[in-house]
Amino acid sequence: MKEKDIDLGQLDALIREFQGKKWGLIPLLQKVQETLGYVPPVAIEPIAEALDLFPSQVQGVVTFYAGFSLEPKGKYVVRVCRGTACHVRGGRSILRLMRKELGLEEGETSEDYRFTLETVACLGACFLAPTMMVNQTYFGKLSPAKVTSVLDQYRKD
Amino acid sequence: MEKLNSIGRLEWFRNKIRAGQEKGKAIVHVCMTGCRAYGSADVLAALQEEVKKQGLSREVEIRSTGCHGFCAKAPVIAIEPLGIQYQEVSPEDASEIVGATLKNDRLVDRLAYRDPETGRPIYYRNQIPFYEKQERRVLARCGRIDPTRIEDYVAEGGYEALVKAVSSMTPEQVIEEVKRAKLRGRGGAGFPTGVKWEFARRAKGVPKYVICNADEGDPGAFMDRAMLEGDPHAVLEGMLIGAYAMGAEYGFVYVREEYPIAVNHLHIALEQMRSLGLLGENILGMGFNFELALKMGAGAFVCGEETALMASIEGRRGMPRARPPFPAESGLDGKPTNINNVETWANVPLIIIKGADWYGQVGTENSRGTKIFSLAGKVNNTGLVEVPIGVPIKEVVFDIGGGIPKGRQFKAVQMGGPSGGCVPPQYLNLPIDYDTLQRIGAIMGSGGMVVMDENNCMVEIARFFLSFTQSESCGKCAPCRLGTTQLLEILTRITRGEGRIEDIETIRGLGETITQASLCGLGQTCAKPALSTLRYFSKEYEDHILEHRCAGATCDAMVISACQHACPAGIDVPNYVAAIAEGKYEKAVEIIRERNPFPAVCGRICIHPCEFKCRRGELDEPVAIRSLKRFASDWYFQHVGTRREPYPVTREDNVAVVGAGPAGLTCAYFLARMGYGVTVFEGQPVAGGMLGITVPEFRLPRQVIQEEIDYIESCGVHIQYNTPIDARHTVDDLMGEGYRAVFIAAGAQASKRIGIPGEEEGLEGLHYGLPFLTAVKTGEKIPLKGRVLVVGGGNVAIDVARTALRVGADDVQLFCLETRDEMPAWKKEIEEAVEEGIVINPSWGPREIMHDGNRVTGIRFVRCVSVFDMEGNFSPTFDEDAVQTVEADYAIISIGQAPDMSFLSEDSRLERALWGALIVDEKTLSTNIPGIFAGGDFTTGPTYVIRAIASGRRAAISIDRYLRGEKGSFTILDEKTRLAEETRLALDEDTGEERPRVAVEVANPEERTRDFREVEKGFTEAQARFEATRCLRCDLEEDGGEE
Repeated sequence: MKEKDIDLGQLDALIREFQGKKWGLIPLLQKVQETLGYVPPVAIEPIAEALDLFPSQVQGVVTFYAGFSLEPKGKYVVRVCRGTACHVRGGRSILRLMRKELGLEEGETSEDYRFTLETVACLGACFLAPTMMVNQTYFGKLSPAKVTSVLDQYRKD
Repeated sequence: MEKLNSIGRLEWFRNKIRAGQEKGKAIVHVCMTGCRAYGSADVLAALQEEVKKQGLSREVEIRSTGCHGFCAKAPVIAIEPLGIQYQEVSPEDASEIVGATLKNDRLVDRLAYRDPETGRPIYYRNQIPFYEKQERRVLARCGRIDPTRIEDYVAEGGYEALVKAVSSMTPEQVIEEVKRAKLRGRGGAGFPTGVKWEFARRAKGVPKYVICNADEGDPGAFMDRAMLEGDPHAVLEGMLIGAYAMGAEYGFVYVREEYPIAVNHLHIALEQMRSLGLLGENILGMGFNFELALKMGAGAFVCGEETALMASIEGRRGMPRARPPFPAESGLDGKPTNINNVETWANVPLIIIKGADWYGQVGTENSRGTKIFSLAGKVNNTGLVEVPIGVPIKEVVFDIGGGIPKGRQFKAVQMGGPSGGCVPPQYLNLPIDYDTLQRIGAIMGSGGMVVMDENNCMVEIARFFLSFTQSESCGKCAPCRLGTTQLLEILTRITRGEGRIEDIETIRGLGETITQASLCGLGQTCAKPALSTLRYFSKEYEDHILEHRCAGATCDAMVISACQHACPAGIDVPNYVAAIAEGKYEKAVEIIRERNPFPAVCGRICIHPCEFKCRRGELDEPVAIRSLKRFASDWYFQHVGTRREPYPVTREDNVAVVGAGPAGLTCAYFLARMGYGVTVFEGQPVAGGMLGITVPEFRLPRQVIQEEIDYIESCGVHIQYNTPIDARHTVDDLMGEGYRAVFIAAGAQASKRIGIPGEEEGLEGLHYGLPFLTAVKTGEKIPLKGRVLVVGGGNVAIDVARTALRVGADDVQLFCLETRDEMPAWKKEIEEAVEEGIVINPSWGPREIMHDGNRVTGIRFVRCVSVFDMEGNFSPTFDEDAVQTVEADYAIISIGQAPDMSFLSEDSRLERALWGALIVDEKTLSTNIPGIFAGGDFTTGPTYVIRAIASGRRAAISIDRYLRGEKGSFTILDEKTRLAEETRLALDEDTGEERPRVAVEVANPEERTRDFREVEKGFTEAQARFEATRCLRCDLEEDGGEE
């Protein structure tokens, strides 16, 4: 897979914003994740220094939380819900279809960095089970046809 | 907005807003939180445009609000002050909503809720059953106010509670009030909130913190999300009051980042509070300082645990630590910290403003107030429900939730997510309370209620929860880290058909250990789903391990297709359906006959468990498998006929079968197929058993049964009619005559008596169900006139009622103990009976048969309050004061059948159970005497035809093994037919077009009761081929890996 280019200047600015902030590690990492789409491994040391932590502590936090990724994600992060209600209403077959349509396994990103496929334990939209999110948009009451049409929308972009 | 630096200014602000709200304006509340996933943003935009276009901008406000609760019908809108709710609204409806309802007060039918029984529209929210039993206190403003406008909250009385608390109560008084209200932690643990606040107040240390745990991680729970998105200020005001009471200066709302709308609305709320001066120094000039900030979770379920949550706020890995010290003593930064759940905080302003007395008016002795539940899963009315604590579970699932969709059976409701347990049907009457649920191994939890039906596998559910907790386990303590992995591994093996019987004890022991030894709540509760399902559904676990059977037909490794797995006879459904689609009807029947020699009979009267499991049913309607079977077999008998070459006799041994009913004839048929000589001894002059003499002609014509029997005889099965096996010609005699094995399938044909006064033999006008049906079917004249009362709620009772109508009764009334929904009779039959004019009177129990010494004059009934007890046992209770006596000319008792054991009296060596039935091995159907087998209704009691047929085949396999000297037990697994048809049917089509199930034509209700014509007509060829292509060919699905 092609290496993604990082805007180091942007990264620097983000880190400086949280310099010395108390309990600032997670909010900073969240900012980095949101802006760059992931937490580049090269960012760990500067972050550690800015917050007076050991790099191992930063690494520990990054690898603990599911919300952080050390690898770049796609433009569209597709999160298929595997919560109880979705599960009970056939979420598994939606996931299977997704994997087939995108050609990705869970956690993988497409070659062109367009899609990342993930599963989430629960999106909290259980009344619309089975559900999924693409970035911040929810889609509910999924059927095979609906899944395909949603993906087509994002493919065209 | 300018800072409000005094209480007076707040009041002024409030009054100004209220004055600014134009009276008489209609407000359309459009949910823009949950409903957004279903396009409510477009609905909002369309409505705004229409209002402008139609010139109603001064009279109508289109308001963006939070959740209305009835999420199943998203997008939902409410129109005040009319009190109307419109559902499943699309942008295209906007012009009519504005033009008709808003402009001209006309209601739009198609957007109203439909009563599921009557179909009539219900426009007014307070009349919709979903809302009737709710008590929306905490959710009162949700769905009414715009959560992004603090003005709305203030106008509705927001922050009055804060003012009251800070300006007129001492912190101790506030805590006392919360204690008096008996508010318990709504996050699930149920710790008394006031007591916890007191600990924090008394603790030493500055500054103190308050935290809102908004990390709602339970899969299936969305109460907190709706609250934060729809009425965030209620939560925040609660936190301010708490902060005042405990002396805290800082607060955090820890919200999971997976809730972007909640995060956004909280941001906005906090900003607006800050700009009004409701946060910061000297709030409202009351000398109270408080700062509140937002912290977002980064994706870890374990951070819902309070110590892990605090670690996360401090920027560390979310790993719990041991307690004591509790957060109240030492929390964030080692300082006293109070953590409460979103809903707990939201209850606080209510308690303060309305008082603990008001608050305590609902709820139970130890837990006052209401609880919000998120109802999801296999239930009609999914959504957000708020009820008083103590309401029975049944009420939430059935009255509010509207019961299980698609007429399926309730199986269990999971409460409390991965930390909770399942509640099986027998406990549906339990009140929802922290303490009652604990006793049955479940918990109330944070409020997630996920309903499951007969198509869910409880073992798989346990595995599902374990896979969640295993991946979310932080890893710090060994019992949880290793224990969840082990439990998951065991459960996965069981769902894969690789289970071992020892696994069950291992799960119990391991679960116990993990619960006792884990550091935090995640580990301490992770075993609950497994232990709970094991407790109430142990048979499912055993069946998975020993029989490779999955009751929900979901475990891929042991299920080729759900329909085949659900069929007691294991017929390869997808392949015969595909054959029909291809026009190969003879082949279809051959496939069916590999497992069932009664395709035409089953095509008419089978209970079709296959259709209940059909996955097509998840999309729209199940494939009409039963009708397809009927079509193919009717075609077969028309075009191929009943004759065939008999199967060659290749084996030396002869077998005798007692009873030419479905079980007996099926056994004989398969034995003949295997090359044995078989003779069936039948006491009646005709074969068919129950089928032939009791199923009414209008459901199953005699001719159809005869064709099937003729075919079976053609196969080489000898039936000796008028040859009963009884005291003069016993089973032992048969063995003496050279039969090496005997299969007893004598059915269950003795009628049960109720045992009430007046139930006297010989009373004129008093009949019993089966003999009555037999008499009619064999042509005996039973001239019924006047009113007939039928007692019973099962299929036979319905058959009796419908038959009574056809032989002359003027008025047929059926009375049964059960409620309409509980009636064991097949829904379709009940509906057809009602169509024909039969009146069903549910919930009545017969007390006495009235007579004049000679003939029946009526029955006295007493109101039946419940049929089953809390444990699910048959134990009817009555209201002795509610009685009615119904006059009648005839009474037909139809409350059940039992096997008639009298004919076996000579064979006393056969082992009986205490109550007289024969004991047989469940798998081999062997009695205690080698060579003598028994099955069908005779051993199980009355049951469905297809089960009797399956029993017959099992007996044939077992007898064959016995005769060949094979020892030990055996398992019958699903197998694909060798006559497979590879067409992919519905999967091949890529059209998005709707293909609803073909409806079966039924004879006109007014006309059909004149005689005994068949009520149901079969499919035409065109209909059958079309219907068959709806099949999804689940059997061809490759298993694409595990989740």
